[in-house]
Formats: sequence, structure tokens, C-alpha cells
Amino acid sequence: MYIPSDTTSLFAGKSFLIIDDFQGMRSLLREMLKSFGTKNIDTVTNGKEAIAFLEKNKYDVVLCDYNLGSGKNGQHVLEEAKYRDLIGLATAWIIITAEKTADLVFGAAEYMPDDYIIKPVNEATMRSRLEKVLARKEMLVDIEKAMRDKNYDRTIALCDKALASAKVNATELQRIKTSTLLTMGRYDRAQQEFEQILAKRDIPWAKTGLGKAFFYKGELARAQQIFREVIDGNPAYLEAHDWIAKTYEKAGELEEAQRALTRCTELSPNSVIRQKSLGEIAHKRGDLETAESAFRKTIKLGQFSIHKTPAAYLGLAKICSENDAPAEALQILKDAHKEFENAETSLHVKVVEGMVYQKSGDRINAEKVSKEVAGLVKADNGHRAASIMLEAAQLFLATGNKEAAESITQTIVKNNHENTELLAQLNDLYDQAGMSEQGEELVNKSRQEVIAINDRGVIMAKEGKLDEAIHLLSEARTMLPDNKRIMINLANMAAMSMRQNGKNSELMQIAGECLRQVAQLDPQEKWCAQFQIALDAIPD
Amino acid sequence: MDQTKEPAPDLSAFLASAVHDMKNSIGILINFLETNLPELAPDAQEKAAPMLYEVKRVNDNLIQMLAIYKIGNRFYPFDLVENSIGEFVREIAEQNKTLLEYSGITLDVDCDESLTWYFDHELISGVICHALNNAMHYTKDRLRLSVKEEDGELVIRVEDNGSGYPNSVLEAGNAVSKGVNFSSGSTGLGLYFSSMVAKLHNNRGRTGGIFLENGGKFGGSCFIMRLP
Repeated sequence: MYIPSDTTSLFAGKSFLIIDDFQGMRSLLREMLKSFGTKNIDTVTNGKEAIAFLEKNKYDVVLCDYNLGSGKNGQHVLEEAKYRDLIGLATAWIIITAEKTADLVFGAAEYMPDDYIIKPVNEATMRSRLEKVLARKEMLVDIEKAMRDKNYDRTIALCDKALASAKVNATELQRIKTSTLLTMGRYDRAQQEFEQILAKRDIPWAKTGLGKAFFYKGELARAQQIFREVIDGNPAYLEAHDWIAKTYEKAGELEEAQRALTRCTELSPNSVIRQKSLGEIAHKRGDLETAESAFRKTIKLGQFSIHKTPAAYLGLAKICSENDAPAEALQILKDAHKEFENAETSLHVKVVEGMVYQKSGDRINAEKVSKEVAGLVKADNGHRAASIMLEAAQLFLATGNKEAAESITQTIVKNNHENTELLAQLNDLYDQAGMSEQGEELVNKSRQEVIAINDRGVIMAKEGKLDEAIHLLSEARTMLPDNKRIMINLANMAAMSMRQNGKNSELMQIAGECLRQVAQLDPQEKWCAQFQIALDAIPD
Repeated sequence: MDQTKEPAPDLSAFLASAVHDMKNSIGILINFLETNLPELAPDAQEKAAPMLYEVKRVNDNLIQMLAIYKIGNRFYPFDLVENSIGEFVREIAEQNKTLLEYSGITLDVDCDESLTWYFDHELISGVICHALNNAMHYTKDRLRLSVKEEDGELVIRVEDNGSGYPNSVLEAGNAVSKGVNFSSGSTGLGLYFSSMVAKLHNNRGRTGGIFLENGGKFGGSCFIMRLP
């Protein structure tokens, strides 16, 4: 017969938080922990109290029931705690649940609990899981730190080191290593690793990973085939559904993408992000009924979630406007303005408000809002998401605000001169306004201006006039704060200069700012990870 | 009003919340019995111990029905992960400890501690606990749980020293492993569940299965599950 090991020493010094709405379960868990030798135990009954306790105290282990009655559920609490850094890397979070759901098992890695226990909870399982989770946390603490610091080379080196010695947790280390390779843009290396794992065993995560590598390499048909195979073998494997939807969308097969996203929302009915994606695809396809229902669900689900998003409000307002219900549209925009207090959302809300008035035939208000938007854009110096600026341009054209339209068009083009899709959309706007020629001329002229500046900088750098080139592109960057090409070239020049002349705090700052800004604009940009490595390699 | 026009309620919504409640209640019942049995007088212990067996049967059936429902509707999150066999077997032995003690049954464990294997922890643990619970009913006083690797497959055996399965159960087991559909009583549910779970486990062209036979180390009934 198995005799449990003496765990008193392991549990005695640890602090626990129990989150459960059910009195019977709270005392059951508390008694269990006490019998393991734990003395430091707090209990709370709902998500709000849990957050308040997490704000004040540090815990080694959190035991959290998934279902917490009305209000936040266990997953919401976990996501908020991670998002707001209320728990450290060493805190183990265990979700206790009546039933295993796709969300819990296959959810987003960054918001996964460290383990889940399915009810009924018994002492044996609880003790064995706690031991395992605490040991794993300890082993992974360095790796998790490297991951949080975005130190990818170190993450991989630490994984390799641990993989060489440890037999247990090999899967977890392989998962971290391969996903880091994908983040770094090293797709061939990642593909190799996945294929090696799959040669031994068919494992859904590794196969899905292989599909992702092909997706990033642009081999969409192959990626699609692989995701399909994962789904056939494991119909509830959420991640493969997410990715097949992404693959269809990228390939322009919107109907298939919508079907896949519908399946995602069936498997994961509480996901704010998936409902939002479904709403956006359906809206894009003109399936207003589906889009409306998805956006309404997104708003409702977002009530308790850190993933709540203005996009759902704006999308819903646009649909109401298209359905000739301007009063409801304006009310939704008001709600959005109240829920999200940031400058970007305020601007976006204003833009949509203007379009709602315009569509309803209220020209006076449309023109008034259009002028307000022009003022906001000017004050922002064009430093807003391109998609919002594009909508603002549409509003200016629709309300006959020619001056503002011309100015914003120049800003958009100059900040995104290599984004052909965006430039085509801009040309379309002018076509629709019956100003095709003016549009094309404006776009081309603005594009040429940026190319000229950039080329001048590159030539100067080649001629060895690095300081002058850096000066030129730094100035260009102030004017065009979102232009990726200019930032990449500028950062590369700064790094080159430091390799020649040694580290320099001013150049370091320029390089760092460009890197962060490019990563924010385009998380898929491969250059970022490579440049981070190059930057780390510059000697002091 | 015409009753046939009444829309059918969405049972799945009720099912999920009912299961949530039932699982809480069962957990508390099991825990109550396990903590308080030792404090009872011996004759009261003897009367109360079978209640633990009954509660575990309710729990088994609940798990089985919910899993069958979800797998059938392609909603079950099949979580194929690498499990340590040593840890897995220890958890199972510990979960059944109280009931075994009060029933006067010894459990022999024979497994390769260092082995790890890919399977869905919840499902396989459900199948094995159910098999043990069954065997407790049929055995004289001894059970054996063995977990070994054979020919690239994981072989889990639950054996007892009772008088073996009756022919009808052996036939049902045989039918299930050949994929024949049948339905009769609780043997039916348990076998159907076990076989469904086994078949979910695939690897590179091989599929899992269950087998019933008489014999084994103690000459009683043997429940065998093979996972690729």
C-alpha cells in the first residue's frame, strides 16, 4: 500500500489563497491543506474579494474554483491577476472545476492555470498535484523570467540545459522552446523540432505547432491541411480551430474562416476574443445578423474580463447604423466612450459617430463631428492606428472636408508607405468619393517623398556618413512616427555606429524606442527578434 | 394549449449546472465518509462502509455519462499528455484506500515506476477506478493493478481472486472489443465508456482497446486496457 510522503516541510512555510463561493468547499479545502501541514490560509468567496486580497498579499499557491456564481469566474480572476502582475512567477495557480472544458485545457498559454483539478476533490489527488506543481514551478522559475524579459536566446539555452538532464517535464520544456523559436521568427528551426517530436508520437500541440510554422512561412495550403488533420483526430482541440480560421482568413476564404470561428465559439462560449473575431469576419462578409449577435455577446462577456474591447462596441454601432437604427448606434458609442477612457478609443468613437450622422442624413451634425475629428487628428500628430486614420479619411471625404482629407491621406501614406494593402484601401476611398485621380496623385506623391528621404539616408550610411544618416532619419521619424521602414533602418544604423564606436546611451535609446515601436505596430515582424539579439551582442 | 408546440428546453445548459452542483455534493459526501468512518464503532463502520461504495458508483456513472455525451457531440477536450505511471498509480491507490480497507481487500500494485505514457488523465483514471470498483464487488479479498509496457503499448490490468466474470459479461466484453453495439444495464454503460475511451487513444495507426478474460495471477476476472 502506498504511504504518502511527509509533506509537512514542503507545505508548512507556504501561503495559500482559497477562492470558492461554496461554504462547504471552502472548509473542505481548508481542512485538507491544514492536514498537509499548512498554517497560512486565506479564504474568499468571489472574484472581487479575490482581487482585493491579491492586491494586498503574496501567495505561493492559489486554489480557485472555476464557477464563482455571478460576476467574475475563476478564469477571469486568473487573467486579471496575471495581466496586472498581482501574482509573481513563482505563484502556482490551480483551478478546481466540475467539468473539463476546452477553454481550460486548450486555452491561451499565457493565461493558462498551472494545473486544474476535476471535482470531486480528494486528499490524495490534491496532495500529489500540489507537490508536482510546486516542483515544476521551481524548475521553471528561471525560464519564466527569461520569457518575461523577452530574452529569447536565454530562454532556449535554459530549456536545452534542462532538457539534457530532466526526464520529467520534457514536454513542457519542448513546448516553451518551440514557441520561443516561432516568436523569434526561426520557422525552419521550429519546423525541424516539431518534426522530430512528431516522428516519435502524434501529439496535437506539436502538430499544431508544425502548422503554425508553415503558416508563418506563407505555406497556407500545407498549414491548413495540418490543422485539419489535428481537428479530425481531436475535434475539440481549440487551438487548431483558431489557427485554421486564421489560415482561411489570410487566404481570403472568409466564408470558411467564419465557419471555423463559429465552431471556436461553440467550443469556447465564454471567450471575448473569439466572439470579437467572429463578429469582425461576419461584418467583413456582410453577414450583419451574425456580426450583430457576436458583437452583443462580446460586450456581455467582456463585462468581467480584461479582454473587453472597444472594437465590439464600434462594430455593433456600425451595424446598427447600417440597419437604419442611428439612435441605438449613438447610444452604444456613448457606452463605449464611458467604458474605455483612452485617447485612441475617443478618437475612434468620434469618427464612427460622424459616420452614423452622415448615414442618417443629419448633415449638420456630421460636419460638426468631422471638424472635431480633424482637430483631434491634428493634435495627435497622426500617431494613431492606421485603421482608425483610414476611417477618419473616409469621414472627411464623405463630409466634404477636403483639406483634412488631404492632410490625413499624406500622414497615412508617409507612415505606411510599404503597406500596399492599406494604400489600395486609401485609393478605394477616393474612388468611392468620385475623386480617383486626386487620390492616386496624392498617394503616389506622398509615397515618393518618404522613399526619397529613406534612400538618401541609406546612401549616406553606405558612404560612411553614419552620423548624418542617423540625424536625417531621426528627423524623418519625428514627422512619421509609425513608419516601420524608417525605424528599422534608423535602428540598424544606430547599432552599426555603436559596433564601430562603442556603446552610447543616446543611440541605445533610439534603437530601443524603434524596436519597441516596430514590435507594437507589427508583432509578427521578424526583424525585432533578430535585432534584439544584435543589440544584446554589442560590447560595452 | 397544444403541448407538442412547447419548445424542447436546451438540456445541455441544465446538464452543466446540475453536474456542477452534484459534483460538489458528491465530493463533500465522499470526504465526510472517509474522514468520519474511523470514528465510528466497529459495527457501525461495517454498516456505513458500503455507503462509500455506493457514492463512488454514483460518481463513476456521472463521469461516464457526461464524458460519453461530450465525446459524442465532439466537445470533449481530449487532453493527450505525458503522465508518470508511478504518480498515476499512486493517486489511484490512494483514492481507493479507505474503501479497500473497510472492505477488507488488499490491493497489490505492480508497475514500472519510471515509465511515462501519453493518455488523457481524467478518462483513464475514470476507467481504472470504475474497473477497481467493479472488481471490489466480485473479488474474495485481493486485487491486483498492474501497469506495464508490452510491444510498444501500455497494458493496464485489473485482476481479482473472485470466481471470474460470468459468461454473459465475457460475451459483452468480446462484443465491445469487436465494435458491436449493445445496450443492457450498468455493465453496458461501463463497458461502453471504457471501450470509447480506449478507442480515443490513437498513435501512428494503432488504436487502444479493452479486453475481458478470466485467469490472471489470481485466477479471477481480469479487465485489460491497452493504449498505444
